[in-house]
Amino acid sequence: MSVLTSAKDIRGPVGWYRDPWRKPRVLAGITIAYLAWSLLPVLIAVMFSFNDGRSRTNWQGFSFRWYWGDETRSVWHDASLHTALLQTLKLGLIATLITVPLGVLFAIGIDRWRGRLPSGANVLMLISFVIPEVLLAVALLFVVTSLALPFGLGTSAQVVGLVTYQIAYPAVLVRARLATIGRQYEEAAMDLGASQLESLRRVTLPMLMPAIFASTVLVFADVIDDFVLVRYLSSGSATEPVSVKIYNTARAAPTPALNALATLLLLAAFVAVVVGYLVFRRMTRNDTTTDRGIGAFAGEM
Amino acid sequence: MSRSREPSNRLWTALAAPGIGWLLLFFLAPLYVVLAIVFGQRDPLFRTAVPVWNPLQWDPTQFNYVLRRIGPGGVYFPALARTVVYVGLASILCLCIAFPVAYYVSRLAGRWQGLLIALLIAPFWISYMMRMLAWVNLLQNDGLVNKILSFGGLFDVNVDWLTGQPVVVVLGLAYGYVPYMVLPLYAGLDRLSQSMLEASRDLGASRVSSFVRVTLPMCRPTMLAAVLLTCLPMLGDYFTNDLLSASPKTAMVGNLINDSVQAPGQTGQAGAFVMLVLVATVLPMIYYVRVTLRGDEVRT
Amino acid sequence: MPVPNGYDRGRPSRRQFLQRAAILAAGAPALGAFLAACSKPGPASSGPSLTIAKPDSPVKWPIADDNKPIGDNLPPERGATLKIYNYADYLSPQAIKQFEDRYGVKIEVSTFNDGDEAITKLRSGVDFDIYNANYTEISRLVTGGLVRPLNHSYLPNITNVWPSFTNPWYDQGWQYTVPYTIYTTGIGWRTDQVPADIGKLSNPYASLWDPAYKDKTAIIDDFHTAMAMVLLKEGITDVNTSSADDLKMVGEQLTALGKATSPKVTITMYSDMPAGQIGLCQMWSGDIINAQSYLPEGVGTEILQYWFPQDGKGLVDNDMLVTLKGGKNPVLAHLFLNHMLDPAVAKENFSAIGYQPPQNSITADTLVAEEFIPENLRSAIVKPEYFDTGYRLLELDTTNEDAWRNVWNAFNSGGS
Repeated sequence: MSVLTSAKDIRGPVGWYRDPWRKPRVLAGITIAYLAWSLLPVLIAVMFSFNDGRSRTNWQGFSFRWYWGDETRSVWHDASLHTALLQTLKLGLIATLITVPLGVLFAIGIDRWRGRLPSGANVLMLISFVIPEVLLAVALLFVVTSLALPFGLGTSAQVVGLVTYQIAYPAVLVRARLATIGRQYEEAAMDLGASQLESLRRVTLPMLMPAIFASTVLVFADVIDDFVLVRYLSSGSATEPVSVKIYNTARAAPTPALNALATLLLLAAFVAVVVGYLVFRRMTRNDTTTDRGIGAFAGEM
Repeated sequence: MSRSREPSNRLWTALAAPGIGWLLLFFLAPLYVVLAIVFGQRDPLFRTAVPVWNPLQWDPTQFNYVLRRIGPGGVYFPALARTVVYVGLASILCLCIAFPVAYYVSRLAGRWQGLLIALLIAPFWISYMMRMLAWVNLLQNDGLVNKILSFGGLFDVNVDWLTGQPVVVVLGLAYGYVPYMVLPLYAGLDRLSQSMLEASRDLGASRVSSFVRVTLPMCRPTMLAAVLLTCLPMLGDYFTNDLLSASPKTAMVGNLINDSVQAPGQTGQAGAFVMLVLVATVLPMIYYVRVTLRGDEVRT
Repeated sequence: MPVPNGYDRGRPSRRQFLQRAAILAAGAPALGAFLAACSKPGPASSGPSLTIAKPDSPVKWPIADDNKPIGDNLPPERGATLKIYNYADYLSPQAIKQFEDRYGVKIEVSTFNDGDEAITKLRSGVDFDIYNANYTEISRLVTGGLVRPLNHSYLPNITNVWPSFTNPWYDQGWQYTVPYTIYTTGIGWRTDQVPADIGKLSNPYASLWDPAYKDKTAIIDDFHTAMAMVLLKEGITDVNTSSADDLKMVGEQLTALGKATSPKVTITMYSDMPAGQIGLCQMWSGDIINAQSYLPEGVGTEILQYWFPQDGKGLVDNDMLVTLKGGKNPVLAHLFLNHMLDPAVAKENFSAIGYQPPQNSITADTLVAEEFIPENLRSAIVKPEYFDTGYRLLELDTTNEDAWRNVWNAFNSGGS
């Protein structure tokens, strides 16, 4: 069967179908439909956070009532929502600050170390990557309630759980990046007289910065969104972040204040990503080996 | 060469040690605690779990209790079977949705690629709870979905979406986890070589044939990784079912765990389920790691 | 990567495997001993078994020597945070604010979804001051040393509640508890989804098994409450039975229930029914009253209906407030309990949460006359006579509770 089409055949639907260089309209359609399915419910939820009435399904007018207007139940006035927001940000920062260095060092060490132990550790890390979160949450709950550890349920336990769950992210991203970079730069530096540690610090680490930043942003976004771990390991409403608040209230009688809270969180995550992207661009402004578009930033993943 | 280019492993060990230590302490050791609780005793008063640390003193009654009931005909079997079915269906659904999207964005998007990627990542920044809540809103009896289906009052559609409909739970799972599949697929498809794909078309293969015989096999490792990344965490999901259908008819194994962990006398059973799901998670991962190590390519 | 000399990196040699197994076997007990050394010492629980209180065998709890009540006339703690552990939406925000303003303190309310979760949290060493308990837990709470005895001099408002609560069978001499709310467990429905008058049926409980109401029903997410209803449906009045036959029957009935109407299992009827998600369900009396405030605009309260046996032969219960031993603000805790026993505060709380307090000044007639409760919900008002004839959900002993829970688990996992 000949694949060549004559000029006459290109017109018309059959010709259009056979044209190997046509615009991928079907795929584009699917992609747009997917994006709509994925994001529209959220946009609707954000829209209802500006609802004037108490309903979350019937639009009753535009107002900032649930942000700061309502005296008792808006985000600004409801102390329990403040605590939730603060707890979320607190967990996000602390967990990210611990996870990223730990994961990066782990990745560099595992990548270069020869032996069976590192490959075992690698498998362990991969398993921690895919394990259902509830398993880890239950296991840590048992640990914290049965052993006399220096910390009990609460923020410390939540941070421990989150770090354990997230440590695979920077490890995986950095390892992938290391593989792409290769060892030639480091070896060149060592040839020129740097010690192993120095070349690591001054050559490899800067080259890993994009991956490190991508993982920081990812881990932060994941931690502030986490639900299962922080719920099991919380000690009371003071240590319940926004996700648990939403869950608890959603099963009872939610008001649009919940939508407002989630919108604010979305804003926080968005700002974090934008900042991360701008820093990424700044850091790689002299780097010709990496593509600097947002595609590459995401492609780090 | 006087100075060794291969430094002793000490530096690498030192770098990796904190991470390994952390994982051992807070990941591996808790799994032992789970075992100690499953095979442990129960406080006679509160019936809370009392862990027994010495393996020689382990008491298998709780574990056996669960084990005897998970076979076909057992009481917990429907929940386990349902979990496998739901997760399987949801994963296939995710793959069918994510693959075309990832393919388009990675290879065919042209100048829209940046924007599309940003939109693809957007769900990550949005609270998972919020996304599910948004759907609860839409699916309520007086919500948007019913309103649309009834074409504004033309038909009387009064489907109760939120009372134990398996379809809703499967779709909910797919909705929640599809972003996790799109990104690895995107990353993997990005690295496919365009020339190979074009070559097969140049050599005369039809579109379908080229896709099935060249593109798909080249994507297979990526697809496998993406499926594992999405499908395994889904096994422990319980809140999707809780939010979208508070009915025992659609209970998954995650619900079994969540319901019994805090109940007096049932903690050991919860631990037993944790062990079962762990085995179901770890085995495919180990198989996957073996397979890729043999292929000896760097994979995530 | 080339593998030299056919040595397969991935597989350990047999000698290494045996070495490792030996190390593991030798190490495990040592690890065990190490972990046992770090283990948290549990509370002394190998003492006497649970004393179950019953209406016909009342119990006066002992007060341990290390758990005496606080002294008289102590000043309230200044600038403290009073921590209350309660169900969600079960305490009026206005009552909280009044207390906060009056004493210049902050109140923090943490919530739980069910009693089991609560007790587990309490035992893990949290420092809540006040807990909303039920008498199905009282024995465990007292024997486990979790509650603090009350000093009655801080609680003069007790005279406002029904006299029976100063000497209840579950806590003679009200040493540990004050009553909080009273409620019945009946059947609630919406007339627009369920046109039939469920109350007039010969066996109203059986309506939940009627396939005509498929996908519209719900039962309460508590094993004891739901299974007790099944027992009552079958005419068995011992709602704390330990008979294996009865439990087996309950299991079968629950399976039949799942097949017939596929009910939701939840405690959020008070918002789901007004939202239209549920048409007919087992419901607490407080929930149907509370549901009025969740109705959307333009929907009148006449569509809500409630049935409870007029002779009081149904499930009757009350919730209580206790002060916890782990709490750091015992004086404030006492003052808060007193605050909630005040008639005006109790009435306001009633309007906020829908659950009736056992106040002397609140009777069925005054409530309907003041239009506090609409006439169609008169059956949801709890009368003192109910407590004489009603059936109580009592604490179950260990083996019995295990048996009950296993039946419930089987139902909850959607199995047979």
